[in-house]
Amino acid sequence: MKISRRDWLKMGGASGGALLLGGCSKVVQRVTAPHLEAPFSPPAHSDPIVRLLNRVAFGAAPGDVARVAKLGAEKYVDEQLNPDGADEWILLARLRGVEVFETGAIEMRDTHVEPMLRGLQQAAILRAVYSRHQLQERMVDFWTNHFNIYARKGDGTYFLPTEQTKVLRPHALGKFPELLKASAHSPAMLSYLDNNVNQKGRANENYARELMELHTLGVHGGYSQKDVQEVARCFTGWTVENRFLRRKGFYRFDESKHDNGEKTVLGHKIPAKGGEKDAEMVLDILVRHPNTAKYISEKLCRYFLGESAGNWPQKTAQIYLQTGGDIKAMLRPLLLSDELKNGPPVIKRPFDFLVSSLRALGADTDGGQALQEHLRQMGQPLHLWPMPDGYPDRTQAWTGSLLARWNFAIALTHGAIKNTSLNLPDLIEKRDATATLTEIILGHCAGEKPDLIRTITKNLHGIKDEKSVKSIAAMLLCTPEFQWR
Amino acid sequence: MNDWLGCDGSGNEPREIENIPMARRALLGGALASLVWWARGKTALAGVALAPPPRQIERDILVVIFMRGGADGLNLIVPHGDDDYHKNRPTIGVAAPKNKIKNAKDRALDLDGFFGFHPALEPLKPFYDKGKLALVQACGSFDQSRSHFEAMALMEHGQGSTPGGLSGGWLARHLSSAPGHNDSPLRAVALSNIMPESLRGATSATALNSLDDFRLILPGAGSKEKAENERAQQNAQRARQILSSLYEGDDAVAHAGRETLAVLDSLRRLDPKNYKPAHAAQYPDSEIGRGLRQVACLIKGDVGLEAACLDHRGPFLWDTHVAQNNLLPAQAADLAKGMAAFAQDLGNELQNVTIIAMTEFGRRAAENSGFGTDHGRAGVMFLLGGGIKGGKVYTKWPGLSPDDLEAPGDLKVTVDYRDILGEIVAKRLKNENVKAIFPGHESKFWGVTA
Repeated sequence: MKISRRDWLKMGGASGGALLLGGCSKVVQRVTAPHLEAPFSPPAHSDPIVRLLNRVAFGAAPGDVARVAKLGAEKYVDEQLNPDGADEWILLARLRGVEVFETGAIEMRDTHVEPMLRGLQQAAILRAVYSRHQLQERMVDFWTNHFNIYARKGDGTYFLPTEQTKVLRPHALGKFPELLKASAHSPAMLSYLDNNVNQKGRANENYARELMELHTLGVHGGYSQKDVQEVARCFTGWTVENRFLRRKGFYRFDESKHDNGEKTVLGHKIPAKGGEKDAEMVLDILVRHPNTAKYISEKLCRYFLGESAGNWPQKTAQIYLQTGGDIKAMLRPLLLSDELKNGPPVIKRPFDFLVSSLRALGADTDGGQALQEHLRQMGQPLHLWPMPDGYPDRTQAWTGSLLARWNFAIALTHGAIKNTSLNLPDLIEKRDATATLTEIILGHCAGEKPDLIRTITKNLHGIKDEKSVKSIAAMLLCTPEFQWR
Repeated sequence: MNDWLGCDGSGNEPREIENIPMARRALLGGALASLVWWARGKTALAGVALAPPPRQIERDILVVIFMRGGADGLNLIVPHGDDDYHKNRPTIGVAAPKNKIKNAKDRALDLDGFFGFHPALEPLKPFYDKGKLALVQACGSFDQSRSHFEAMALMEHGQGSTPGGLSGGWLARHLSSAPGHNDSPLRAVALSNIMPESLRGATSATALNSLDDFRLILPGAGSKEKAENERAQQNAQRARQILSSLYEGDDAVAHAGRETLAVLDSLRRLDPKNYKPAHAAQYPDSEIGRGLRQVACLIKGDVGLEAACLDHRGPFLWDTHVAQNNLLPAQAADLAKGMAAFAQDLGNELQNVTIIAMTEFGRRAAENSGFGTDHGRAGVMFLLGGGIKGGKVYTKWPGLSPDDLEAPGDLKVTVDYRDILGEIVAKRLKNENVKAIFPGHESKFWGVTA
């Protein structure tokens, strides 16, 4: 019989003088069973409100569960779908001086890249932690990855602020065709995928390919290499203003670089001499394509429902086609679906994990460098994924960096992150620490999971002082349960 | 001030430990005992009698470097003997070794009269000359999508051209089918925060962002005060115990957490921060340099490593759509310096190590208007190791004339990447199950191994 590492550990334990007990047999069986796929039977959160807050929002902040319970799921989802009114003052105050987002990219070119990048990451963290428009922030997270831009390529960092304010934020819950159009004109995207140098003669295919593969149709969306080349020709001349004495850093169509010949894209003829209209026609063909509806829907469903989304991708694609890509219309039934309530949980990416930890414990944070360093250790520094596909959403991609999550949990609860603090005694008031923290961090579900409670109370039994409260909070953030949403 | 769950730093077991179920304690005892084996009697725990199991594995340690983004094989291993090369690349082509107009430092370094190295690959030249480095040109998969992600997934899953079908990675299949057994939690590692697809499904694979920081950090850790530092370490041990009782479940995270805890134990006796490379090897201060340095530390630490995966993104990425000649030299130099330092550091241990550097596809034969190259088909592979029959460029050269290229102008794939990997699996990793690792493919060996 092949002996697994864990069996071996136990044998070591036996020969080391400890007892080898029958209680181990379950573990032995599990580990020796040959499997190629990592085991996947994540624990389920049973409380529907906690689940809803984990998906619509970045987890529950103090008071959220009670508020949503009173409001009801439908009203909460509708409120989140229609972000309205001013945001939390604490957020607005903290964003001042951080978001220098209204400034044009080129005016900022005298700034060093690093502080700018820190500001961008800081704004994203602050908004996710404190915004009352949580779904809006979730969708910004989704689209930031869908239309990923690597800050360190070329002038990426300088273009990213306007990418956020002019492209992603205004359309995050709007219409997909508008969002795509904004992205295609975006200086950040034009330069990240090299369309700024795409000109007649030998076209540059980079943007054309990713536009179809990653932004609209999907890799099996029915386009050919020839289509990539034709789309690239249509986009020749779409560039970023860079001429002397002009306001640099904005979209510009350069007629002189445009290939004005006839093209055929996905079977559609694009007549000669179309100029700037050529690529606009391409965008129009793409947003109406059923494979775009399918691809965008599949991705949305994976984000909100995980890897087993039932027939929701098909249903959502139908809504896309009926509404012309109305993101709100696609999201509403999804967010109120039984699959969201009862389906298997979804892995938290490090950003989800970090933000949900801060929210759960009502942290006071500046979202600054120290916190960002933890996010980097966990594998998800914002705006720094180099490839155009965005951070992975597969479970397996993220299970390898748990140690960094544990260290974050310990540092957060022990006040070891600069400019981030907790007030645990306030949070607990005078109730039982373990039970209260379990409820705050893991939701009511923990009450229905006696195994977990038993493990925690057995190990943390009898400790009541403030120091142990920190440790209990740390361990709860470390639990496998808290790594899922 | 830094008490962790009642551990007062006195060295006494905290009282709560009594509440840990007996099975748990047995396991924890085992975890401690396991250190003895890894340490081969070198630690203070050596007094516990426990014979180390015999070393059963006589296969090479495999190091796979994935050049992400589609490295331009035609400018790395330059076919200077092919007249069509410069016709395709009038501006960005690398000058032939005998070109008298260009500076010597801008000319290709001749390898065999037909192919030459990009000058930035110079650090690897001695290994080629000594027969330790083999090159494979016109190598790739049969993926037609020219998509980074499709082509990478295909290669990491060990497939030919059909997408989907295989969910696990080729390395994972090798590890699970290799003869003998190796229970080390460090059997397969990825030097990255994110697990590569090639290891998908491997039962024991760990992503190590950095070996130096791979420890639980409790308040007080690293303090100048000895007592405080010691207390932090004791508390870390305590936290580790609690974590192992929290991570007994059956979901993907619980499984990964157990692996992480086991790795923590195995790494305790290594001191990667103070690791001194041998033979005056100088690693570049870059992601790949740091990564390979850590792999060397694991190899020399004899922790049971069998496979290590690294990504090479380099300073600019390999996806050189524009201004290629401003980007490629630094990319190539970073890789070459890293690999050369690693081989030098290993010294005689290179005898039992095979390093593969591969990429998802090569790039278009002709340069584009931005003096870059678009996604193409065939690329290159680097093979370095004591068991590699080096000093040779392996290929069936498809040619670069318009008739020879595959539409829309790409170098044809004449060497299936699975043939090369398959040969290494069979000959250097001593695993005969090549057909199961690359299903649906009949591997043809090119004789790249000695």
